[in-house]
Amino acid sequence: MAAPFTRVYRPLWRIITTTTLNKGVRNVSSTRQQWSAQNVKTAGVASPWALHGAVCLQRLPVVSQDRSPIEDEFMELMHQMELERSLLSDHELRLLEDAARMSRKQEEESDEEEEDYRDKDIFTAQDLEDIWEQKLKQYQPAQRSQGVDEKGVSSSERCLAESLILLVKKDVGSQKLWLLPQIQWQTGETLRQTAERALASLPGADLKATFLGNAPCGFYKYKYPKDIQKEGSVGAKVFFFKALLSGHKHLPLEKNSFAWVKKDELQDFLKPEYLKQVRRFIMAL
Amino acid sequence: MNTLLTKVLLLQNTRALLCAASSLQSQVLTTQMPLGVLLTNRQYRSMPTHGIGKYRHLLPKALPKKKKDRVQAKQIKAATATEFGVFNVCVSGYDMTLVEHYSQYIHNLCNHLDIKVDESCALPTKSTEVMVMQEQGTKMYVDAVLKTHERIVQISEMKATLFPIFMEVVLKNQPEGVRLCVKQHTEADYQARFKTRPELEGLLAKIHN
Repeated sequence: MAAPFTRVYRPLWRIITTTTLNKGVRNVSSTRQQWSAQNVKTAGVASPWALHGAVCLQRLPVVSQDRSPIEDEFMELMHQMELERSLLSDHELRLLEDAARMSRKQEEESDEEEEDYRDKDIFTAQDLEDIWEQKLKQYQPAQRSQGVDEKGVSSSERCLAESLILLVKKDVGSQKLWLLPQIQWQTGETLRQTAERALASLPGADLKATFLGNAPCGFYKYKYPKDIQKEGSVGAKVFFFKALLSGHKHLPLEKNSFAWVKKDELQDFLKPEYLKQVRRFIMAL
Repeated sequence: MNTLLTKVLLLQNTRALLCAASSLQSQVLTTQMPLGVLLTNRQYRSMPTHGIGKYRHLLPKALPKKKKDRVQAKQIKAATATEFGVFNVCVSGYDMTLVEHYSQYIHNLCNHLDIKVDESCALPTKSTEVMVMQEQGTKMYVDAVLKTHERIVQISEMKATLFPIFMEVVLKNQPEGVRLCVKQHTEADYQARFKTRPELEGLLAKIHN
């Protein structure tokens, strides 16, 4: 996944910016002594691109997806075949024996001595089966869908069969936009630490997450509008990191500033250019 | 053309001569030898068709089947900066079909992504007895026996950049009721697969004591 961002990158000021980009990459991959030395060397040259670290926080699916009609039919067929090919289990053999014995007992009524020897167990096989049925009825499995309104995007319990992504509403410049949580990079920290900070600094949400690796999974570059562009700043570059949500119960988040969306709902929330880059690294499985 | 013709004629002549010679020989010999002895009509090496039906020399060399020598402990490779060392993906659960199918899925995924799979094996099944205490009384009786099945896929030399993608795919397709665990492979894990030999251990203890 490191390949995409090096390909898309088209530097305007090649000499200066390549070194700073490399600095960003090196920070990401390892935090050894040698790379910090390189930091000190190139610290004097500032790049016109501001670096941001963003986190793509995903909630993994909790239940398996529903089967399509063909899959249902096929599964029924396979079950049927397996049943017809199988041999009788111990319990089923006992059931048959008991049934045969009962029918024999009813026909000939002089076998009472044999009964005392054989019926040592208190329960017959049929009784056992009834007891098991009773126990099964008492068991309540968890619901496949938690009964949360599917259209409301603020709960992380919706759509348990699919993976959801966290979006945050942020005001960028003059307008409010839906984005993946991002924060500006500071000197001396790796980009992955920036992404962790972005997650931790979300107001009103304590979300525990595991980051999968040190390498970013995606990249997005945008220029500031003309009136904001100064001598030293042209635009910003955002590096995305993937994280998986850990832990179970979460408090519902504010409706207007947070959203948990599926991949196909992303287009209702994100800008087209941003969406194009984000879609590349999100897997809808 | 002429030379060819003469050569062919010459060949035919020699063949005819040889045949005649061999038939004479066979006649002579059969009349003198007793009937029980069998005489083969072997072609001689200068014969053009000598060894015409041979194919054994074209087959690959089949080594003699050697006895299974003791399984050697493989050297566990250490992790480098860009690659993981040897790690185990353990899949465990109560439902054997789910566990096996999931481990097969992981193995096929590794093959598809060109990830080197060292081993794909099963650990012994562990049985757990669920005992229920009777309501009136202190005696516990066995309610059910649960069997935990475990499968291991051992992966080595995986690139650190590929690992997040691999983990994401594996986690997103994890079925319900199956536990997934990814851990480093150690010598202790390897030794745990072998059966204990109580007599040997007893003797060793005696020697040391």
